[in-house]
Amino acid sequence: MRIVIDILIVISLFFAFAGTVGIIRMPDEYCRMQSSTNVATLGVVGVIIGGLLYSIIYLGNVNMAVKLAVMGLFYIITNPIAGHAIAKGAYKHGVKACEQTTCDHYGEDMVKE
Amino acid sequence: MKKTSVAGVTSTAIVCYLFWLFITGQIVDIFRGKASAQVLIVGAIVAIGAAIFSSRFFIHEKAGFLWNPARLLNLIAYSLVIFPIELVKANVDVAKRALSPKLPVNPGFVKIPSKVKSEYGQAMLADSITLTPGTITMDITEEDGQTNYYIHWIDVASEDPQEAGEAIKGTLEKWVRRIWE
Amino acid sequence: MIMNEFVWFGICFLVLALSLLIRLIGGPSVVDRAIAADAIDILGDMALILFALYSGRSVFLDIALVTAVLGFIGSTIVARYLEGKL
Repeated sequence: MRIVIDILIVISLFFAFAGTVGIIRMPDEYCRMQSSTNVATLGVVGVIIGGLLYSIIYLGNVNMAVKLAVMGLFYIITNPIAGHAIAKGAYKHGVKACEQTTCDHYGEDMVKE
Repeated sequence: MKKTSVAGVTSTAIVCYLFWLFITGQIVDIFRGKASAQVLIVGAIVAIGAAIFSSRFFIHEKAGFLWNPARLLNLIAYSLVIFPIELVKANVDVAKRALSPKLPVNPGFVKIPSKVKSEYGQAMLADSITLTPGTITMDITEEDGQTNYYIHWIDVASEDPQEAGEAIKGTLEKWVRRIWE
Repeated sequence: MIMNEFVWFGICFLVLALSLLIRLIGGPSVVDRAIAADAIDILGDMALILFALYSGRSVFLDIALVTAVLGFIGSTIVARYLEGKL
């Protein structure tokens, strides 16, 4: 059982690593935002599920497990709201997309109105 | 803005009170029979106070809208089976992109149509799209009764609204409509 | 001194958080800094959760919950500022 928990945490660590590398390497702000979603979804879920199993089986502390579940739910609910708000704010602020960007239907429609 | 109704306030207060019980750890103590009366009473007062001010932002017009076996089962199936599969697929894809040496990104802002009518369904679909890595909802507009989503997509496979919609929403839209309509 | 493996995992998360500092300090725009701060917040929370599991005390979980709430509020406020409504 201990092995399963370790594997879950290592998976989570791998996705957190991929997200961090993405945030440092990606060419523009919007792509970096995509990578930060990577950190906040599977980077969190592995640790939360592993912690649930560990706190119930080894520590026998149900209180801690309940708190962990609430935290996981909170991350999953609030992260898209913050991401959506920052993306829209960045566009309104005038952050330019990189040269590889193929199409910009949003900018075209905003100009029309 | 919706009006504040008694049923709405009651159901919001129940949700707030459950949240209070979870984060203070009292829900376990209740089953063990040693809950502290002070914590329970303070929680109830705060929950009702918060519900009076926030129920008009939080709850559906019909307070018991989700309290329906079919909708509840669909919601549970969506959030435990359908959505996690999409989430894992998208996560692996974006992780591969970030770690590969050539950095194969092809970003763009695309516009996709949506057939979801209810406001809660629209919000849920937009959140689901934002939560899958690789797509972020920028804005939702409505023109001539047609709802459009503007989405930043990290790998633009097609600029056509219909095909892009198929690729981004996949099966999610069908399930969201099944829950909220 | 024998250490639980959770401590090592927590140290790995903290190293990732520290490596994001180059984006936080040298990021070309405000948006970069907001994204990096959000990610650092989440990674630090993961380290706190792992330390709570290691030590078996749930006080660290309360701290992690509070920092999660503050991080969400902070990034939303930055977004409102960028949109020009603040």
